[in-house]
Amino acid sequence: MRFGRTHPVALTLIVIAAVLMMVPLFWVLALSFKANAALMADTNSVFSLPYTLANYRTLFGDGQVFRWIMNSLIVSLGMTAGVLILSSLAGYGFARLDFPGRSVLFVIVLLGLAVPEQAVIIARHQMLSLVSMHNTYGALILPGLSAPFGVFLMTQYFRAIPRDIDEAALLDGASRFKIFWKVLLPLTIPAQATLGIFTFLSAWNDYWWPLISATNKQMFTLTVGIASTQMNFAQTEGLGFLMAQAVLAGLPILIVYLFFQKYIVQAVAGAAGR
Amino acid sequence: MASLTPRRRRATDWTNALFVLPYLIVFVAMIVVPLAWGMWLSTTKSDLFGTEGFVGLTNFVRLFGDPIFLQTVWNTFYFVLLTVPLLAVLGLALALVLNRQARWAAVLRTIFFASTVLSVTVVTLVWRLVFLPDSGLLSVVTRALGGTPIAFLNDETLAMPAIAITTIWWCIGLPMVLFLAALQQVPRALYEAAALDNASRWRTLTRITLPAIRRTFALVIIIEVILQFQLFGQPQLMTLGGPNNATRPIVLFIYETGWRQWELGYASAAAQVLFAMILIAAMVQYWLSSRREAR
Amino acid sequence: MRPLALLALALLVASCGGATHDDRTTLVVQRFFGACEAEYGRNTDVAAAEGECGIMTSIINRFEADNPDIRVVENIVFWPGYDQLTAQLAANDAPDLVTMHGSVIADYQARGLLDPVGGDLATVGITPDQFTDAARRAVTIDGKIWGLPLDSWTMLWHVNTNLFRKAGLMRNGQPVLPRSPEELLAQAEQFERRTGKPYLVQATANEYASYTRNFYTFVMQQGVPLFTDARHANFRTPAAHRALELFKQIRARDLTTQNQDYSAAVASFLNGGGGVFLVGTWMVQDFDTASRNPDSALHNGYAVFPYPQLFQRNVTFADGHNWVMPHNPERTLAEHEAVLRFLKFFAAHDADWARTGHMPAFAAVIDSPKWRALPHRAALAEIAHTATPLPKQIRRQFPIETVVGQEAAAAIAGNKSIDQALADMERRVNDILQHI
Repeated sequence: MRFGRTHPVALTLIVIAAVLMMVPLFWVLALSFKANAALMADTNSVFSLPYTLANYRTLFGDGQVFRWIMNSLIVSLGMTAGVLILSSLAGYGFARLDFPGRSVLFVIVLLGLAVPEQAVIIARHQMLSLVSMHNTYGALILPGLSAPFGVFLMTQYFRAIPRDIDEAALLDGASRFKIFWKVLLPLTIPAQATLGIFTFLSAWNDYWWPLISATNKQMFTLTVGIASTQMNFAQTEGLGFLMAQAVLAGLPILIVYLFFQKYIVQAVAGAAGR
Repeated sequence: MASLTPRRRRATDWTNALFVLPYLIVFVAMIVVPLAWGMWLSTTKSDLFGTEGFVGLTNFVRLFGDPIFLQTVWNTFYFVLLTVPLLAVLGLALALVLNRQARWAAVLRTIFFASTVLSVTVVTLVWRLVFLPDSGLLSVVTRALGGTPIAFLNDETLAMPAIAITTIWWCIGLPMVLFLAALQQVPRALYEAAALDNASRWRTLTRITLPAIRRTFALVIIIEVILQFQLFGQPQLMTLGGPNNATRPIVLFIYETGWRQWELGYASAAAQVLFAMILIAAMVQYWLSSRREAR
Repeated sequence: MRPLALLALALLVASCGGATHDDRTTLVVQRFFGACEAEYGRNTDVAAAEGECGIMTSIINRFEADNPDIRVVENIVFWPGYDQLTAQLAANDAPDLVTMHGSVIADYQARGLLDPVGGDLATVGITPDQFTDAARRAVTIDGKIWGLPLDSWTMLWHVNTNLFRKAGLMRNGQPVLPRSPEELLAQAEQFERRTGKPYLVQATANEYASYTRNFYTFVMQQGVPLFTDARHANFRTPAAHRALELFKQIRARDLTTQNQDYSAAVASFLNGGGGVFLVGTWMVQDFDTASRNPDSALHNGYAVFPYPQLFQRNVTFADGHNWVMPHNPERTLAEHEAVLRFLKFFAAHDADWARTGHMPAFAAVIDSPKWRALPHRAALAEIAHTATPLPKQIRRQFPIETVVGQEAAAAIAGNKSIDQALADMERRVNDILQHI
């Protein structure tokens, strides 16, 4: 696996960079353990005792942040599952199957890659208004399913799999769907992992669409929820509280990330073993 | 689920399309139709509650005479220039160094990707607390070192770089992971051969590694250009587009024009311009990368 | 198949999260003023609540407790929430009641998005003649009443008298306030010399509203109209130049805190970081509470006044908060009745709301001994006559506020010349007004 050692300069630089990456997070973490009043008086108080769990107590006592996290999870997972299914099917179709208009359709889908959310968001909002779908999980998930990136990625990936594999299966009398499902799909797991993570993250981080579609507090995703407290004019809850909220908002997704990271490492290792 | 046997294959070419049909339905409903709708809107005078009438290209003419819009175009390009090359190069550098099985590399990979999973609102909250001139981390550090804190977000020239730093911190994970995935796929035999030839580290990098991950490099650039062209949340939450419009990107212009100023037709026109810009950028990128490959 | 399993899980969780069965009439109330459920989520004792958020939350809690047949769904939006409201109304997802500034009512009213409430209010004994002039003007368009006014507000001169004493700016126990731009600069410089601190505390980072309010106020004080008619701004005037020049001077001579966002400015004033905090009526109670705390820099050292008259006329730019009822053809009679009960309840609690520091919307409250007995209200009573909103026919006041604030900020910070900023300001505002 390895060739050569890591250059000490590179190693030093990267460790410094890693520390710099983490400093803002530790800063927020530290602030979250300080009383709001102490921070109001002087932020430097963060470097000295006392620390407190009060902000977290407040947060747990209130619970709306959990609702937002739940909403974000539902939307992100739903979108990820949907994108993986749709993209795998379409990717296989475009890469391997023949049907009238295939190349034209693929080019059109590729062009869709360049359509920014902003060019369609206004009309999307009006369309979903017409069918009274706003403030539902469906409305939050649906637009994300149309992103062509997954189809592009999966098509490329299916194309890279040697055709001999499906030819062999075809000779064995397997159906098209069976070849897709049993033979090729397992080979695309690395791409699925990349696409899954990518979709999950963009869904998790999506801001504008939930901002205008989920206008009901019960349907706020985490992004919109945090923005709603951040932009509160009088910032009634205080800095420490906001920071505790940021920490709590970041933690579950970090845990999910650790889970998926393991998955992606395995997947990548498996792919490298071919 | 329909099963298609080889015997029926020729006759049922159309059924092959069933694989792409589910996606195409969503694609048409959520991209094609809204895009056409948006283009039509851009030729009207509308607000969110209805259309007053067709105005032809008036909105576009007005856009190109609107100094604020022109500045947002420049701001957006500036931001893309500040972030995309750095994201690609830093992402690649990280991937090169961290493409090991050692435990420390795994830990560092985790660290560099961690910020990516945070949502834009958390990221801006964190970085506002870094940049705040009174109580931010930077000012605390600067004061401890005896300096005068700089108000990055309130300085016309420093605000956009500050947002770029925030964005790079936030987004560096994705290019790194994409490069790592690509590096893992470089045939090991190539490296073994290079080692046998006693090729230098630099030579191995430029002759084997970089050519092998060319496609990924193009992919990273395309993704990042498209993503960063759509800058929105960071300035909306950190600077409100200020100071003196220095950080107002096109998307914020679209948002403010459509939702705050109630000029949906005008906002749609701006969205079409953004669309055209992204399309051109993606096309140029695609053309460049495919041309290089053809050689 | 992992994704499928996850989807199933997600749907399962989603269906579990659904609403439980409830016979009560649902009243959807959308408001700003922030979320403070942690502190006031269950509080129904309105008198014990403090601050905008606390009092608002407590009044609503109290209403729910007193009206067990109504379930209030509180939709708290970030300030000021109009972008979101506009999206909602476009999605036919109108809340039953929304907090709205008087300055923006006309925009929604003109598009048929609001229902008049005057007739309904009259049936429960609330008539426009009970409102203060400012409050009545805020909700009246074409002779109809489009909302229940909650308050009127202006920016105020919040003074740290402890620092003023140190600066030698106290006379007979009262702070010395400027009567002209020259006096303001002179006093500010004296203050700075004696205390080593800036005279003004201002929220200027990531915040444009206060720039706009200061600008409006000091142009209005010179008797020059800000708008010549409903479609034309009038900013390229010597008066407008003088207003910006004053604040530019203050900044250039380091007589104000700089680069503070809203919460940093509040913290700074509470910590004794400067002499005068330019912020609205809504902070009066918070600062007054701090002045009773022996540990506070404001201890026994807080006073508050209307903006001083620096030019010919004694006026202050004003706006106000109101409850308005978005048009919704599907609103049931029961919901309509709940709306009315809610408005009546709020009208009855106007005095509680006014404890925040806002000017009451009901004349009777201003005249009441109870209100007069609240701290600092004697000094503030004149606002009832000096508060001046922009003319009602000026639409899009909210985006205009942003534009004016941005350009004023650019001029004051020296990013562009004052004349350039005023020209840009006028061009951008006219552009908005002419495309309505």
